[in-house]
Amino acid sequence: MKKIKYTAKIKRYNPETKESYWQDFEVEVEDSLTVLELLMHIKDKIDASLTFRAFCRSAICGSCAMIINGRAGLACKIQAKDKIKNGVIKIEPLHHLPVVKDLVVDQEPAFEKFKKVKPYLVPDPKVVPDNNKVESLVLPEEFARYDKQTDCILCMACYGQCNALEGDEKYLGPFQLTKVFRFIMDTRDGMDVEERIKLAEDHGIWECVQCQMCLAACPKGVKPGDDILELRRIAKDIGEENIATRRAKFWFATVFETGQIDKWHLPEVAFGDEKGKAVTKKLEEEFRSRGMKEDEFGPKPFPGIEKFRNFIKKLEKEL
Amino acid sequence: MKKIGIYPGCCFQGADIHNYDITTDFLNRMGVEGILLDRAACCGGGVIDETNKKIVYGLNARNIALAEEKGVDLYTPCNTCYMIIAKTKLALDSDPGLKEKINEILAEEGLEYKGTAKIYHTLNLIRDFIGMDTYKSKIQRKFEGVKVAPYYGCHVLTPNEVALDDPENPTVLQEILKPLGVEVVEGYQNEQTCCGYHARFTDPEQKERLAVKPLEGAKEAGADVVATPCPLCHKAMDGYEEPILQVTQLINVACGATPKDAFWDLNKTEVKISFS
Ligand code: SF4
Ligand code: SF4
Ligand code: FES
Repeated sequence: MKKIKYTAKIKRYNPETKESYWQDFEVEVEDSLTVLELLMHIKDKIDASLTFRAFCRSAICGSCAMIINGRAGLACKIQAKDKIKNGVIKIEPLHHLPVVKDLVVDQEPAFEKFKKVKPYLVPDPKVVPDNNKVESLVLPEEFARYDKQTDCILCMACYGQCNALEGDEKYLGPFQLTKVFRFIMDTRDGMDVEERIKLAEDHGIWECVQCQMCLAACPKGVKPGDDILELRRIAKDIGEENIATRRAKFWFATVFETGQIDKWHLPEVAFGDEKGKAVTKKLEEEFRSRGMKEDEFGPKPFPGIEKFRNFIKKLEKEL
Repeated sequence: MKKIGIYPGCCFQGADIHNYDITTDFLNRMGVEGILLDRAACCGGGVIDETNKKIVYGLNARNIALAEEKGVDLYTPCNTCYMIIAKTKLALDSDPGLKEKINEILAEEGLEYKGTAKIYHTLNLIRDFIGMDTYKSKIQRKFEGVKVAPYYGCHVLTPNEVALDDPENPTVLQEILKPLGVEVVEGYQNEQTCCGYHARFTDPEQKERLAVKPLEGAKEAGADVVATPCPLCHKAMDGYEEPILQVTQLINVACGATPKDAFWDLNKTEVKISFS
């Protein structure tokens, strides 16, 4: 087995002194180590006080999520040698959660938010039999609608790197919202969709900035950012009226009409009030002062737009 | 002369129409002929998904097919357009069934998605299409001593499968900035925090809270200006204390344009840097 030398740069936190600092560990180890095995090596051979959380060592218990070279992931799933950049691998605890010690974070605040969205099945008496002698059937095509979402192992890698939490610490979080989608899609669930959506809206779906970090972070290929778009679609389809749903409807309508979003009137329509009108008006003034003419303001349908509209209709129907 | 298909997204219209001039001027100065894909449609912007996510694949298969029809690769300066179009390409190239279905519908417009066109964004266009040597050879003047903080924005580095550089240690933007004679300010606070653009019309306050964060970090690190490749990041982050420009606005001036020709004057926060 080949041995390699590199530096593990680890963010430490000492709860007794409340000191937070980076510490370099020079290692010479087999090149086949996972990041978790690297941490175990350091604890074993160099510094027994180094603290991290792990259990299954096989990417299933969800205990060992941390940030490695600025990207969240599972320490037990990631090969250390792939992460050495200029001789260094950087390891720090997940963001947005209080650090208990070194790489261990307190998951409780995220679980509190998880509980808020009622992450469990409320059996629909019309679908779920009232006794346990009869099976509650779910067809494969029904399960397929939320199959991927059930792979979530609650490791919180997505949460530890979510940009919406950077802007609002009360933001529900990616995996919490994926769970809402998962239960809305479940044919056995009896909770009103309206109620589930309400839960997802409180510091939730509208605050997501679609940065895609949760997709990059998830070790199981769950895509919370995509599920959030689906939740927004559902909110719109059950008749929710707000700035975001007005924007989504207008967006689709103008793309259908012209091929492009009419950014010109978007503020007016989305805000739907005097404030929005003022934004559009201000744009208009700015434009005129730049010597632009009215017909340069919004998008114009391109030649052959009819065919494009048919194309969209067909996509909606056939895809 | 090398040719590239210019994909017109929403960053080329409305109040942002000047971005088209910035883009064509940039291509001219690099000696690349830009061919406008004039029947191209919105990439979906992550918003059409809220109506019907399947449409997004079709829209972008069509956008790519328009480039292929003209025998060119597709170039967009926008991070989000890049990410969404690149995702579509990955989906179609790995799913023959989906490709076939979409091609059946596309045939009615006389179009076909073949999968031959590459997807470029300003960063990989300079690195892989124009080439770093050619790029450097076009630079006529330098921003000597000016401190510039690179800001990538999200969608050129996430999700991983479309990242155009190593997402853990991206260097392409720094490599593009260095030949401009600037001092690159790296490792500033919140350099990877999202600009919040996409919350502009879902939760405007969330956008405000986020946009200022990387700017404050750059300012604290002593940067004179932030440089981003993305027109949406630029739009979201212009108007605070620290000025921000699109990297093509800097390049164009370094290649001979006046700051006014590069539309620096449209910035809400004035850019005060000198060049020789
Ligand atoms: S896409 Fe939304 S939920 Fe996912 S990390 Fe970004 S802000 Fe958070
Ligand atoms: S969605 Fe993925 S990253 Fe997030 S908690 Fe679940 S398994 Fe972990
Ligand atoms: S130790 Fe269980 S997921 Fe890593």
